[in-house]
Amino acid sequence: MATGQPGGGRKVGIASQQDFAGAVFLIVIGLGALWASSNLAMGTLRAMGPGMLPKSLAAIVVALGVLLLLTSLKVEGPKLDRWSARGLFFVLLGSCLFALTIRGSDLPFGLRLPAIGLIASGPLVAIVSAYASPETKWSEVLIFGTVMTAFCAAIFKYALGLPIPLAPWLLGY
Amino acid sequence: MDLFSNLALGFEVVWKIIWWSPSLLPGLSIPVPINLLLCFIGCLVGTLIGVLPGVGPIATIAMLLPITFGLDPVGALIMLAGIYYGAQYGGSTTAILVNIPGEATSVVTTLDGHQMAKQGRAGVALGIAAIGSFIAGSVATVLIAALGAPLTRLALLFGPAEYFSLMVMGLCFAVVLARGSILKAIAMIMMGLLLSTIGTDLETGQERMTFGFPPLSDGLDFAVLAMGIFGFAEVIKNLESPETRDVVRQKVGRLLPNLEEMKQSAAPIARGTVIGSILGILPGNGAVLGPFASYTLEKKLAKDPSRFGRGAIEGVAGPESANNAGAQTSFIPLLTLGIPPNAVMALMVGAMTIHGVIPGPQVMTKNPQLFWGMIASMWVGNLMLLIINLPLIGLWVKLLKVPYRLMFPAILLFCCIGIYSINNQPVDVAMTAFFGLFGYALIKFGFEPAPLLLGYVLGKLLEEKMRQALIISRGSFMTFVERPISAGLLIVAAVVLVVALLPSISKKRDVVFTENS
Repeated sequence: MATGQPGGGRKVGIASQQDFAGAVFLIVIGLGALWASSNLAMGTLRAMGPGMLPKSLAAIVVALGVLLLLTSLKVEGPKLDRWSARGLFFVLLGSCLFALTIRGSDLPFGLRLPAIGLIASGPLVAIVSAYASPETKWSEVLIFGTVMTAFCAAIFKYALGLPIPLAPWLLGY
Repeated sequence: MDLFSNLALGFEVVWKIIWWSPSLLPGLSIPVPINLLLCFIGCLVGTLIGVLPGVGPIATIAMLLPITFGLDPVGALIMLAGIYYGAQYGGSTTAILVNIPGEATSVVTTLDGHQMAKQGRAGVALGIAAIGSFIAGSVATVLIAALGAPLTRLALLFGPAEYFSLMVMGLCFAVVLARGSILKAIAMIMMGLLLSTIGTDLETGQERMTFGFPPLSDGLDFAVLAMGIFGFAEVIKNLESPETRDVVRQKVGRLLPNLEEMKQSAAPIARGTVIGSILGILPGNGAVLGPFASYTLEKKLAKDPSRFGRGAIEGVAGPESANNAGAQTSFIPLLTLGIPPNAVMALMVGAMTIHGVIPGPQVMTKNPQLFWGMIASMWVGNLMLLIINLPLIGLWVKLLKVPYRLMFPAILLFCCIGIYSINNQPVDVAMTAFFGLFGYALIKFGFEPAPLLLGYVLGKLLEEKMRQALIISRGSFMTFVERPISAGLLIVAAVVLVVALLPSISKKRDVVFTENS
């Protein structure tokens, strides 16, 4: 980035890093949507086709992105914050693992994850996502995750009768 | 007199008694006021989850949606309304005790509420918030009951063109009321509208932008989007900064304000109620403006404005009343026109649809029990908040002392189970995680996610009405300006947008939002 030099008093090029990145984000998404909707018929105003609105909206998003890009070069604004990779990674990994294991799932290369049900998926979410915080204490998480899972099982499965699998390998449901 | 007979019908529904015979004790049957009980449970768990820092009403409702699934529609909606008020009140509690606003509307409460808490007057702050909310809620309930019938009749005059223009106006309001740059807010609305077009086209049945991914063919689930952007993304953001939660160490103190404090608060509560009620009716999340407006007004009217920001009770009483009044009157556009004015109401639409109720003018005529029962339960819910929360404040304080490192895995677990339970689809959880990433990117790029959600919510209806209107007018856009009501709504929309773009006003707008955050 042009403004990256530490202590550089004079800013060259981009005046607002945040807006610049946001503008690129908008343009990428807009172009992606244009590409994804390219096979849809526009239709006419009298009888709008399925593609009319998605294409127009995507074009507007791209246009707004370009506008934002231009202003970001001129108007001073905040810098881009650092992304916290650790929090992002473990929080998302934990919830994806829940999705993959609650009822089991097929992975590429003929691999298959077993359906371990809430009894095991619950603590799994708690433990994996707990990595996201550097302050985590392991014994605490283990106990807390187990207790929370039992609590959720009692509420969602027994009190409310929702069809969430508890432990298919142990209880058969 | 219609109003009273309708409200009477509503209270009858709320007081419905069923006879429950426990299987352990044959021959015995116990009267259970089932709807009252559901309202109570809703308020309680709503507050419980809403109190957690960083969990706003949207995430709370999305998380708790599944617990209403087994109920009949009336009971479920009464419980949801309870959850909603609980979540709102829980947010104020966090704002006062920990200085963390759960959502935009309780930002103002942190200013004086937390100062009061630091002076050992947390109890009074919470007490006056509850009392003010109750009074505001009572007035707003009557207002909904009174306006419900005439607005429903008005809604029947609305054709597709009017609906389209009304939604455009709502979106323009949302742009103006968003924090930060107007250009970015417009981009968010457009992005929301764009996301809403994903899925099967209503008229031709063609798949749009689904990438051949089957779970997308029904479109994105609103709960998935909302939970990703407001649940997961918030958690990730909160994890970034090392925890600095300053839960008040001072005594909570007495809860009931004394006579002097009541006198000071009476007028702010009344003014806050009026302001909040009016702004809440506006489509496009007008309710968010209520607390800001009330706070500014009280500061202007005060004899000694310097007290504000240092624990002035008026600065809690007014905004909290406005907040609750607005939270409640924002049901009006939903129940009469079928248009959700903000993201929370959009979740309500989702909940109602799950229970087979399509919000709109026909609810009141086809399903009066449900309509009036829900309105009566709003008042009961407000009363319950007053009764159950005042003694439970000690418990909330303890809950707030649970460190975030324990809290966030539990929040995530709840989110996962909640999302899974909505459709029993594991893939929904994975998609929520994806939108968590998306939402986190939005936060980092300085986009406000609320307008996106509103755009998404109104998108499908907007497209449907636009296509209908254009079919009727044979493809002429003039239909939107030739019909007087539609033209009027569009003019309002244009004026609002232009005024917000005027340099002098936009500077003031920046000041309002930055000073208070």
